Amino acid sequence: MAAIDVSIITKQNQRLAIKLALVAALMFGFGYALAPFYASFCQFLGIDRANASLTQAGSALRVEFDVNVAADLPVTMQALDGVQVAQAGGQVKARFVLRNESDQPVYLRAVPSFAPVRAAGVLQKLECFCFNAMSLAGNEQREVTVVLLVAKSLPAEMGAATLSYSLQAIPAFTHKVRES
Amino acid sequence: MHSPSIASTHLHTPGEHHAEHQTGWARWLYATNHKDIGTLYLWFAFAMFITGGVMALCIRAELFQPGLQFWQPEFFNQLTTLHGIIMVFGAIMPAFTGLANWMLPLMLGAPDMAFARMNNWSFWLLPPAAALLLISLFVPGGAPAGGWTLYPPLSAQAGMGMDLAIFSIHLLGLSSIMGSINIITTILNMRAPGMTLLRMPLFAWTSLVTAYLLIAVAPVLAGAVTMLLTDRHFGTHFFNAAGGGDPVLFQHIFWFFGHPEVYIMALPAFGIVSQIIPTFARKPLFGYVSMVYATCSIAILSFMVWGHHMFAVGMPATAQLFFMFLTMLIAVPTGVKVFNWIATMWQGSMTFETPMLFAIGFVCLFTVGGFSGLVLSIAPIDTQMQDTYYVVAHFHYVLVAGALFSLFAAVYYWLPKWTGYMYHEGRGKLHFWWSMIWFNVTFFPMHFLGLAGMPRRIPDYALQFTQFNSLATVGAFCFGLGQLLFLFNVLHTIRGGVGPAPAQPWEGGNTLEWEVPSPAPHHTWESPPDIAMVRRGLIAQAVYHEGEDEA
Ligand code: HEM
Ligand SMILES: [Cu+2]
Repeated sequence: MAAIDVSIITKQNQRLAIKLALVAALMFGFGYALAPFYASFCQFLGIDRANASLTQAGSALRVEFDVNVAADLPVTMQALDGVQVAQAGGQVKARFVLRNESDQPVYLRAVPSFAPVRAAGVLQKLECFCFNAMSLAGNEQREVTVVLLVAKSLPAEMGAATLSYSLQAIPAFTHKVRES
Repeated sequence: MHSPSIASTHLHTPGEHHAEHQTGWARWLYATNHKDIGTLYLWFAFAMFITGGVMALCIRAELFQPGLQFWQPEFFNQLTTLHGIIMVFGAIMPAFTGLANWMLPLMLGAPDMAFARMNNWSFWLLPPAAALLLISLFVPGGAPAGGWTLYPPLSAQAGMGMDLAIFSIHLLGLSSIMGSINIITTILNMRAPGMTLLRMPLFAWTSLVTAYLLIAVAPVLAGAVTMLLTDRHFGTHFFNAAGGGDPVLFQHIFWFFGHPEVYIMALPAFGIVSQIIPTFARKPLFGYVSMVYATCSIAILSFMVWGHHMFAVGMPATAQLFFMFLTMLIAVPTGVKVFNWIATMWQGSMTFETPMLFAIGFVCLFTVGGFSGLVLSIAPIDTQMQDTYYVVAHFHYVLVAGALFSLFAAVYYWLPKWTGYMYHEGRGKLHFWWSMIWFNVTFFPMHFLGLAGMPRRIPDYALQFTQFNSLATVGAFCFGLGQLLFLFNVLHTIRGGVGPAPAQPWEGGNTLEWEVPSPAPHHTWESPPDIAMVRRGLIAQAVYHEGEDEA
């Protein structure tokens, strides 16, 4: 058996080692590439990322929007701006999409509630789709909004508040509209 | 044709031999011989295992009963953090690299590792790295205390101990990358004639795949801690929300490294037991090719499941489902492996020497750890179990009963080859049964603690957890004590053991390392092994059939 030709092997080895070192260097770069990739990925999917405006403001409140639909309603509702930052003295606007999944018209009302309850004193509704009863034609899709006025001074301990909407059918109203 | 004994003659390759005739400390400092370096790695790993183990006992002592007895909470956190980092990067990983250094050239019929001098560097980066970690205990603010995962914002706010840990991780990463380049090059370029890739011993396969994993993910961890470092000192905002960064990004990058890292600690163990079980069952490994494919698929899947460590961060449900199902998918190749080991033992003429006992112990306990892992992979369950002792139980079943037991198996298996002497079988078995029993006493109750809601990483706990915690602490101290027996066994063997070992102390070993004398001489395979000898071994391992190449 011939001895291994050391010089040939050495050259092959070196070439392979350089390639492998290059892979390692690329993977180091890949780690860094994850940072911008992550930012745009979250933005694309609308995932709630840590938000600089939350920490830079002297006083701010995280406002979350939650929706529920009563079991017997053939309607879907989705918060388009699920999380917002409320700056003291500023405004918050959030949009929702309502969709009637049936081909019958529905009559409904959104019942708002705040958690914690005292958040209602800090976030005042300027305009809200919940002020009035609504009707949705068969298969109609509609975008609705709420605008909140944020108090000048925010209680520091509150941190976050949730404004939740429950969609409910209005039988009496339905009745009236049908009769007329 | 050469006979095996040729292996012991000194046919020097030119240019690599200045250091090898040195004695005393210089032999080790300038070591370029793969066996010397392997020995260095193994002793280093053992020293770190003891260091990390003492820290584990300090943790368990505090948890013997509720209330604060020994440590302040800050120091307790430093203990858990350093214990984790030291065990992962200081004990388990270097031990596997040491084994690869010692055994790969012998098993493949190569005279040495591909880059002997770089090999010296890879090792000697480790002691300074370990020193940095230990020094961090004594600087203002103490060692890192945010857990081995180093999550910001805790790690971003910590004292200068964190910087030392970051530099330590840089050194460890560099060492791993250089070690991996050496392993891959040796395996791909320096095999004996006749030993194609699909005929290599499985330990070589798992070492190869592990080395690739390391080259892919060690730089990612290095990047993550570098970003942490620049966030801490140079005004960048990768993870700082106040500057537009996001701490959750760190978790993504960390676990993109971290999950493959788990397999970096498991795959070599799979390789080791795949060598040992056929030897003591006196049958070829069942399903060799499926073992290779299973190894590769585990490696590939391991890149895609990192999110299962982040179910609780608030991930979209679709992402949770994606990570959950991919994680469960890993159970398939792992199951193939367990099935093959059992099939290898099936109807074999088994004997139960210490290495075999540890290998079987590995298969049983690793399976338990695998099952609790499967439980945790279910997102809704994980959100409940996250950061409880159930998780601690799970990963110690895979790391202690997996990685550590396989290392014990490897040491007893190859000790005759390393030292030239046989260890004392009775004491080896005692070490096994002692470890097996107390390991379970330590970690099995932690499943219950976790299910009952005891959080991890806490120095004090609610009264109802007392009994199981006391039990676990007793178990841990007994387990720790038993490792002194391991040290004693190894030292006793080095000093002559129960007598000289033959070249082939195990009846069923057919890989090339058993063709060289025991102890393996300083230089082996200076000229590659005879092709007839290689083929004889390959036929016995059923990876080659008579006349296959001619066809
Ligand atoms: C052999 C005896 C061992 C004992 C008694 C032990 C005990 C412990 C304990 C009590 C904790 C803290 C759990 C907590 O409060 O969260 C812990 C954490 C940990 N252990 Fe071990 N351990 C042992 C061996 C090992 C080994 C061999 C590894 C191998 C990698 C390991 C890896 C870890 C890791 C990664 C952590 C997590 C650290 C963290 O929370 O950041 N342990 N161990
Ligand atoms: Cu994982």
